[in-house]
Amino acid sequence: MPEQPLESEGVIAGTGTGGAMDLATTEAETPAKRPPPAFGGGPGGGTESTGKPRSLWSDAWRDLRRNPVFIVSGLIILFLIVISLWPSAIASGSPLDCDLAKSQQGSAPGHPFGYDGQGCDVYTRTVYGARTSVAVGVCAMLGVAILGSVLGALAGFFGGPWDSILSRITDIFFAIPVILGGLVLLSVVTSNSIWPVIGFMVLLGWPQISRIARGSVITAKQNDYVQAARALGASNSRMLLRHITPNAVAPVIVVATIALGTYIALEATLSYLGVGLKPPSVSWGIDISAASPYIRNAPHALLWPSGALAITVLAFIMLGDAVRDALDPKLR
Amino acid sequence: MLLEVRDLHVEFRTRDGVAKAVNGVDYGVDEGETLAVLGESGSGKSVTAQAIMGILDMPPGRITGGEILFKGQDLLRLKEEERRKFRGAEMAMIFQDALSSLNPVLSVGDQLGEMFVVHRGMSRKDARARAVELMDRVRIPAAKERVRDYPHQFSGGMRQRIMIAMALALEPALIIADEPTTALDVTVQAQVMALLAELRRELNMGLILITHDLGVVADVADRIAVMYAGRIVESAPVHDIYKAPAHPYTRGLLDSIPRLDQKGQELYAIKGLPPNLMNIPPGCAFNPRCPMARDVCRTDAPPLYDVIPSDGTRVSACHFWTECLHG
Amino acid sequence: MVEPILEVSGLVKHFPLTQGILFKKQVGAVKAVDGVDLTLSKGETLGIVGESGCGKSTVAKMLVNLEQPTAGSIKYRGEDITKLSGKALKSVRRNIQMVFQDPYTSLNPRMTVGDIIGEPYDIHPEVAPKGDRRRKVQELLDVVGLNPEYINRYPHQFSGGQRQRIGIARGLALRPEIIVADEPVSALDVSVQAQVINLLDRLQGEFGLSYVFIAHDLSIVRHISDRVGVMYLGRIVETGRDAEIYDHPTHPYTQALLSAVPVPDPEAREHRERIILFGDVPSPTNIPSGCRFRTRCWKAQERCALEVPLLAVPAEFRLTTGPAAHDSACHFAEEKQVVPPEEPTDDHVNGVE
Repeated sequence: MPEQPLESEGVIAGTGTGGAMDLATTEAETPAKRPPPAFGGGPGGGTESTGKPRSLWSDAWRDLRRNPVFIVSGLIILFLIVISLWPSAIASGSPLDCDLAKSQQGSAPGHPFGYDGQGCDVYTRTVYGARTSVAVGVCAMLGVAILGSVLGALAGFFGGPWDSILSRITDIFFAIPVILGGLVLLSVVTSNSIWPVIGFMVLLGWPQISRIARGSVITAKQNDYVQAARALGASNSRMLLRHITPNAVAPVIVVATIALGTYIALEATLSYLGVGLKPPSVSWGIDISAASPYIRNAPHALLWPSGALAITVLAFIMLGDAVRDALDPKLR
Repeated sequence: MLLEVRDLHVEFRTRDGVAKAVNGVDYGVDEGETLAVLGESGSGKSVTAQAIMGILDMPPGRITGGEILFKGQDLLRLKEEERRKFRGAEMAMIFQDALSSLNPVLSVGDQLGEMFVVHRGMSRKDARARAVELMDRVRIPAAKERVRDYPHQFSGGMRQRIMIAMALALEPALIIADEPTTALDVTVQAQVMALLAELRRELNMGLILITHDLGVVADVADRIAVMYAGRIVESAPVHDIYKAPAHPYTRGLLDSIPRLDQKGQELYAIKGLPPNLMNIPPGCAFNPRCPMARDVCRTDAPPLYDVIPSDGTRVSACHFWTECLHG
Repeated sequence: MVEPILEVSGLVKHFPLTQGILFKKQVGAVKAVDGVDLTLSKGETLGIVGESGCGKSTVAKMLVNLEQPTAGSIKYRGEDITKLSGKALKSVRRNIQMVFQDPYTSLNPRMTVGDIIGEPYDIHPEVAPKGDRRRKVQELLDVVGLNPEYINRYPHQFSGGQRQRIGIARGLALRPEIIVADEPVSALDVSVQAQVINLLDRLQGEFGLSYVFIAHDLSIVRHISDRVGVMYLGRIVETGRDAEIYDHPTHPYTQALLSAVPVPDPEAREHRERIILFGDVPSPTNIPSGCRFRTRCWKAQERCALEVPLLAVPAEFRLTTGPAAHDSACHFAEEKQVVPPEEPTDDHVNGVE
């Protein structure tokens, strides 16, 4: 029924950010039944509230600042970023400075985490490993987010045959098992830089974001204010940039943040399997791989890099959750 | 009295503060009587109904005072398991949006039959037969063939009939209908209202009809309770209220209806906006919008005055109800 | 008669129903609008009334070029706007603006009120020089009865009625000649509806606007319209001046619609004849043959299934000059008074002598 949206459906626009996956659906509610604004009253009518203009982003930021999950994960991530940029600030030695004589030794003064099988300082390697992890995670996330959201947004906005084709392509990519794909594709790569790994993640990761971007663009596109802009004569780019993107970007941000954590884990996994980064690169995955045969004799060599990896991944997932809570219209 | 609500108070805790949704509501309904509760969005009419049914979301909602007497028993003092026995069997509710109130993956026959299986312990087969009976009763054509259909295969009016059938299944003593026809087209609205009125007579139920539409109310109600900012501002038999409203809000609502038989110049409009429930004006909540407001209205909240000539059936929460009544 | 500024003829909109994943094939069509003719004169208000699914909102969207008609023409000052594109379309859009039904979804929640009302000037910079815009926006806020200082607020800080005023201000910004209002008050509270109707009424006089006013509610349409068209399943079934439609309806569907309007008067309920139609509106994918209303009509006969009734003055009234002589698409048109005659005073409402 073509008329249905106008006749009986409404999005709670006051808070309409869409939302990730399940949130990207339209709230079907007839106007008379819309409860929350009833409490609002709004300005005027003798019920003057705090006259300060508040945007939805500033509301979300206010929520975030009060959320302990956000504060904890934010501090962890901030710390990670700082040590990735300046690892020497807290680790004086070089991660490649190893002494086989000290192989598998426990902690010593100046070397709190002990030594690994090659006699390298676990503390220094763990600190330097953060740089690789953060670099891979951030670059892969940026690549995925840009490629995925541009393709998804265009498909969602213009629809038609291109949209159908894109949807089928994303289906195909979803069918590729990530680890198997990594083993096959990356085993032929000889380069030792982080770029092949990032490229692989972007290749397999963009469909996830593009699907979400497409969904939230379609939801936002159906809003009357987009129609209103069109009726005013607005161009496609104006509608897309000024009206649709700001209202569709929230779920993409949420999913991209959570995905960043999973890319860091994926990098470690691929390195562990020997197809990601290879020594002499410094990476938590490489260290975990190298330490696992000696788990009985030198558990500390395994414990520290895996602990760092777990905390990092968890921090990004927690951050994503906190952002989702702040942007989720249903909780407001 | 079948149901009596006394001095009910409900609050909502929200991020921005406490919203006082219901602030001392009193109303009652008898067997075989239709009480229309009239109000705009935010007047607390639906929240009161949810409190009666025990389906209020708590939190953020909280009942902070009052009692709800059903057949003399205070529902608010009962445990949740005891209250559950009332729902469906003793009182039932019809919602505005029939499509989202029905389960899309079950056939309507299964959903109607469910009531008999759960509450009456019937077999599936008997329940199915009762479902067909119910659908006949709410005049769904070809009930026998359609009992296996799914909600989306019915039109809006038919779905609302199914909701009514569901509410009637266990022959409750009280039905609460929350804007039952608002989502329907005018020609279908008339069918559904006529059906509700007829079934109420047939089964001698109490009916609480919650609506914002003065026209619908005039057609079917016996009594009207007008709500504003979580309080009853006027309550009276339907004929009295239309002839001579005793509260300026009721009068304003009546005057602002565009009428078919009067091609007007300027419509009368109540000035201003409904109050913010976080910040209800002191004194009479209606005073900022009231054309008759005086100093006392800004300081003293009016009690419910008996409207004279008094036979106990008419009350108004206006200090100057006599003036309002006599124009 | 004043020269019409908008002339619609033979307007059709069919939405194709398709099947298939990559290569879609058409398996049917939703015939939302199926041959509609309208005219609108300067300064006039045309009301279009019908139930949901009758195609009235689709007509509105085609008038403001949000949907492309499948067939038919929409002539604004003699020029067919359905064939325009680019610059020419943009300049016509300046003159035909829309007010939307739902004030909650029609304002972008990420933009301030000033940006929302000022957006028309961004799109049509020739209308207002940049330095002048803020003042113009504040003027518009004042015109629609909002405090001009609210210019930096966001839509969610306003109530439904205030949001609808913002939507109206946006529609007025380019000083259009025609405003298409699609159920502009149906999402609002009763006490606020009257305020918005009065505002629209006042603006019409102030700016010399012509309105196409779409509603499902006959009583509101009567209040504001000079002429009324009643739509059923994609067609106009009866049209005429407001007194002709309300006091002398000849089409059974109009009569049923009128009688279904609840009258806020309990006295009337005993001695008022109600026409209660059976059934629901048929699906627009599968429109009945002949007269499309026949499946719900109490007068339907064999002829109604075979012959499509034309929208014209019915034969029995053709020679008369009375109010019953207006266009009605029914083979068995007859006058029937549904609404009680107008009363001299409005003591009904005010009640007390």
